[in-house]
Amino acid sequence: MNRWRLRRLSTRSLLYMGAIFLALQAAFPFLWMVSTSFKPPVEVFAQPPSFIPHDPTWENFWRLFTATNFLTYFRNSLIVSGLAVLLTMVVSAAGAYSLTRYQYLGREKMAGLILCTYMFAPIMVVIPFFILVKKAGIENTHFALVLAFTSFCLPFTLWLMRAFFKTIPVQLEEAALVDGAGRIRAVIYVVLPLALPGIIATSIFTFILAWNDYIFTRILITSDELKTLPVGVQDLFHSALIDWGLIMAAGMMITIPALLFFVTIQRYLIRGWGAGAVKG
Amino acid sequence: MTGISDPELQPVASPEVRFRSGVITAEPGLARRARWIPVTRPKRREQLAGLLTIAPALFLILALTLYPVAYSIWLSLLEKHSFFPQERFVGLENYFYLWKDSEFWTSLWLGTVYSIWTIFFQVVLGVAAALILNEIFVGRGLVRGIVLFPYMIPTIVAVILWKWLLNDTYGVVNYWLFAFGIVRDPISWLGADHIMLSLIVMSIWQFFPFVLLSILARLQTIPPELYEAAKVDGASALRRFIHITLPQIRGILFVVILLRSIWMFTKFDTVWLMGEGAGAGRFIRTLPVYAYMRTLTYYQAGLGAALAVIMFAILVVCTVIYFRLFREEADIG
Repeated sequence: MNRWRLRRLSTRSLLYMGAIFLALQAAFPFLWMVSTSFKPPVEVFAQPPSFIPHDPTWENFWRLFTATNFLTYFRNSLIVSGLAVLLTMVVSAAGAYSLTRYQYLGREKMAGLILCTYMFAPIMVVIPFFILVKKAGIENTHFALVLAFTSFCLPFTLWLMRAFFKTIPVQLEEAALVDGAGRIRAVIYVVLPLALPGIIATSIFTFILAWNDYIFTRILITSDELKTLPVGVQDLFHSALIDWGLIMAAGMMITIPALLFFVTIQRYLIRGWGAGAVKG
Repeated sequence: MTGISDPELQPVASPEVRFRSGVITAEPGLARRARWIPVTRPKRREQLAGLLTIAPALFLILALTLYPVAYSIWLSLLEKHSFFPQERFVGLENYFYLWKDSEFWTSLWLGTVYSIWTIFFQVVLGVAAALILNEIFVGRGLVRGIVLFPYMIPTIVAVILWKWLLNDTYGVVNYWLFAFGIVRDPISWLGADHIMLSLIVMSIWQFFPFVLLSILARLQTIPPELYEAAKVDGASALRRFIHITLPQIRGILFVVILLRSIWMFTKFDTVWLMGEGAGAGRFIRTLPVYAYMRTLTYYQAGLGAALAVIMFAILVVCTVIYFRLFREEADIG
């Protein structure tokens, strides 16, 4: 009996050690970033490093907002991600509706083809994309960027929305139609409200993808006032002396929106994840 | 009227009953489940509406993904400057050039090394962590949330975090190694000798949560009775893992390894931001980075496209072999 309890105790403690390790390895780099971002420049380079700033200050954030183009990048990121979400949602909701509600030849083949394009990695698309965008004369515009994000997200948002639309019984719509509503009214008042969890989950996935993107922006945008956060922050690195306090403050400011969205979607996450929705 | 809303057994009088847009059929004499079968030949109006609503999505995917990929095959046959419109057809010359280009072979090798190590450890760590987080303990929900952070943040943040942790003079990693007396002199983690190691560690940190969550989602669906039965029979934890868990997660493991392999082999942003191709970055110049540099550092769009095509061809061949090797798992997954 005693030996059994001892063994149980040791497996429990192993389990807790594993869990603590998992939490720490993920959280420590972030905590270190937060700590660094509140340190005055002298303390950033102090040896031995202090884990809690002795003399916490907002100075790094102040410099980030006033001395760099950070706020412009932030605004650009919001605009581009927001527009990408809007376009992606409209197009993929219409597409998913078509794939689940209408009968036509080649429908399943089309769905399969769309899924296949999910396998193309950005690096394979972006080089020809860059040349084509130049030929079309829309390089260095947010428009090109929004198009790029949308086409990149579409395969999985379509797939996910299709899965959500499938769970909404057709009979509800038919009832609305029988009651004299038109097709569009039926969709707006019956289908979309029921698909709302799916729409929210999908749009947040799209937002995070657009918000985090580096490669499309790097290639398609050249002028500083159009850059989004990841590219803008990378360029902060290129100064002669790297200002770590400033960089860490910038890192925090990019992470916060992404994390906020992440926390809101957590409950949808497992479901979406099961459908393979996150790419990267 | 009840035929549609109620999928249960329905004695249907005539073998075929027309009902608005569908047909209810039942095999005569047999009271089998009445099935609502869509009309086989859709009405023209419906077909048109269906095609119209899918058209925007289809157009975007065709024009902005499939067409560029097809165009890159054409581009790989040209000699073309990335910024100027002049182009010249050179046939397979780009490919011949790459065949003799030692940098191409180096990048292929570095990319393979990077992919294999990161995929191996992601899978091992991901499965182990999923097993831990599938147990019941205090604070499980919190740990499950925290563990996913690294996968959700922008790559640029992950890279600046690690560059700061690994900084040779002020980094906390070197400080600890020194404080615990493991090293005498600071290690230059981002220098030529160690940069590949640093990149691999960082990539595992960033991407293993994907494996973790996919496996965890599957683990939660394994009926607990299986384990209870095995426990009663006195099977050890290791044997329970091998004989119950592993067969159950085989299908999802197949998919996860496939996806991770494709994504690691074509991983650009993490690798590029870590080294930017120059200096010590030459030692992590994988195939995607090399393709990018040919296009945007040397402005040889044709060569860049040829590299992208080669990358794609390698992926297709490997995927086919993978499906052949694990045919059984492919059916489950």
